[in-house]
Amino acid sequence: MTILGLESSCDETSVSIIRDGEILSNLISSQHFHLKYGGVVPELSSRAHLQMISPLFKKALEEANIEKEEIDLVSATAGPGLIGALLVGLNFGKALSYSLNKPFIAVNHIEGHIFSCFLMEEKPEYPILSLVVSGGHTLLLLVKDDLNIVKLGSTIDDAAGEAFDKVAKMIGLGYPGGPKVQEYSEKGNPKAIKFPVANLKGEYDFSFSGLKTSVLRYIQKEYPILEKITEDEKSNIAASFQDAVVKALSNNVKKAILNYEIKTLSVVGGVAANKAIRNKLIQLAKKFNKKIVIPDIEFCGDNAAMIAYRAGKLFENNIISDLNAVAFPALPKNAFIAN
Amino acid sequence: MKFPFKTIVNSEDETRLIAEKFAEKIKSGDIIALSGNLGTGKTFFVKSIAQCFDISNVTSPTFAIVNTYNGKLKINHFDFYRIKKIEELYDIGFEEYLFNNSSITIIEWAEMFEEILPENIFRIEILHLENSKREIRISKK
Repeated sequence: MTILGLESSCDETSVSIIRDGEILSNLISSQHFHLKYGGVVPELSSRAHLQMISPLFKKALEEANIEKEEIDLVSATAGPGLIGALLVGLNFGKALSYSLNKPFIAVNHIEGHIFSCFLMEEKPEYPILSLVVSGGHTLLLLVKDDLNIVKLGSTIDDAAGEAFDKVAKMIGLGYPGGPKVQEYSEKGNPKAIKFPVANLKGEYDFSFSGLKTSVLRYIQKEYPILEKITEDEKSNIAASFQDAVVKALSNNVKKAILNYEIKTLSVVGGVAANKAIRNKLIQLAKKFNKKIVIPDIEFCGDNAAMIAYRAGKLFENNIISDLNAVAFPALPKNAFIAN
Repeated sequence: MKFPFKTIVNSEDETRLIAEKFAEKIKSGDIIALSGNLGTGKTFFVKSIAQCFDISNVTSPTFAIVNTYNGKLKINHFDFYRIKKIEELYDIGFEEYLFNNSSITIIEWAEMFEEILPENIFRIEILHLENSKREIRISKK
């Protein structure tokens, strides 16, 4: 079965074609159009998605070496995300489905991330404990099977990725924040400064706003003149901050491993590219004798291969969407089963 | 609460009380520009207002640019922090959200794009003084 995936929920436009679980093409705008933009972060706009989706689609067919008539199923992200951006991929997908007379599936972006671990050679086994960490989301979920996903907890304020970006900006590391903080962390001492790890009412919830503020207050107190901060000190702040994030995430993961029967541990989403987080989860999996499946870096950030894969799973379960499917900016309250 | 309003708060609980009093003064169609540096508690203030309308799922909209919540009424919660130029706001349909009497619009980092804000809106400024002490100023202009 040949599946087309379309993703345009936020900054990235992505088009992918997969066939029987194999990725034939997976094109992501920022990587593909990098040179055209001269390395500058492209502007956040639905117009940018609109300009890219058609050329990306053509290129995806070319790379997959197929004709569009060979597509058996069309899928697109319906939300959560920026409404104008979402509509570009969603409407492109619906129109294509109509013209090719092939079924259409609207995919939840978060489910796309969760199932991105199935794109790896080593297949996860249910039940999966899935940590979703990105610029906009931080969730801990228990994935019982293809369709039953229980939400154990989520962030009550900032997402983990947002904290990385804001801390990077505070100490002048530039954009993108995540990779920069990681780079500096490698040279720093994670025990240099003790930043707080939030203790919350919701057993599996997360909070990164307090951590962000405490890093800010530390910098304001110790370095009233920000220019005087040395590279070594930046490294120590980055390492200590990253260590606090890893602790906050892994504390909840550990609790969930102890309280639920799981077979596989997984971390997905843009922040899952972070080495310290990957290593910590690998270590936890080893300790508790669980399988660990983490997507390759290319599938951590927003991509359409994960959308196509998720659509395939839904199709196997006889779930398809009609062409009235609407975009949803926020995660619906009933998107996942309440714990 | 009368505007302009100014007070000093010493804790999150006191901030919540101010937000609750302010919430009594607002209705659908109102626009609130919220400014204050990183870490002054802007999102917390929005969370406290939202709770008065039975909304409990407020999170930071920095990444998403806008979060929409439904409770006793609808709140559009914007954050301009990640916006690089005003065209991006036009492109995401910011004005569609503004001139819409069916929801309250709250904007964090609103001062970054002063030119896109209409007149006669609520302005809230939160200033961090020391530790948990903050000054809150609210006006309507």
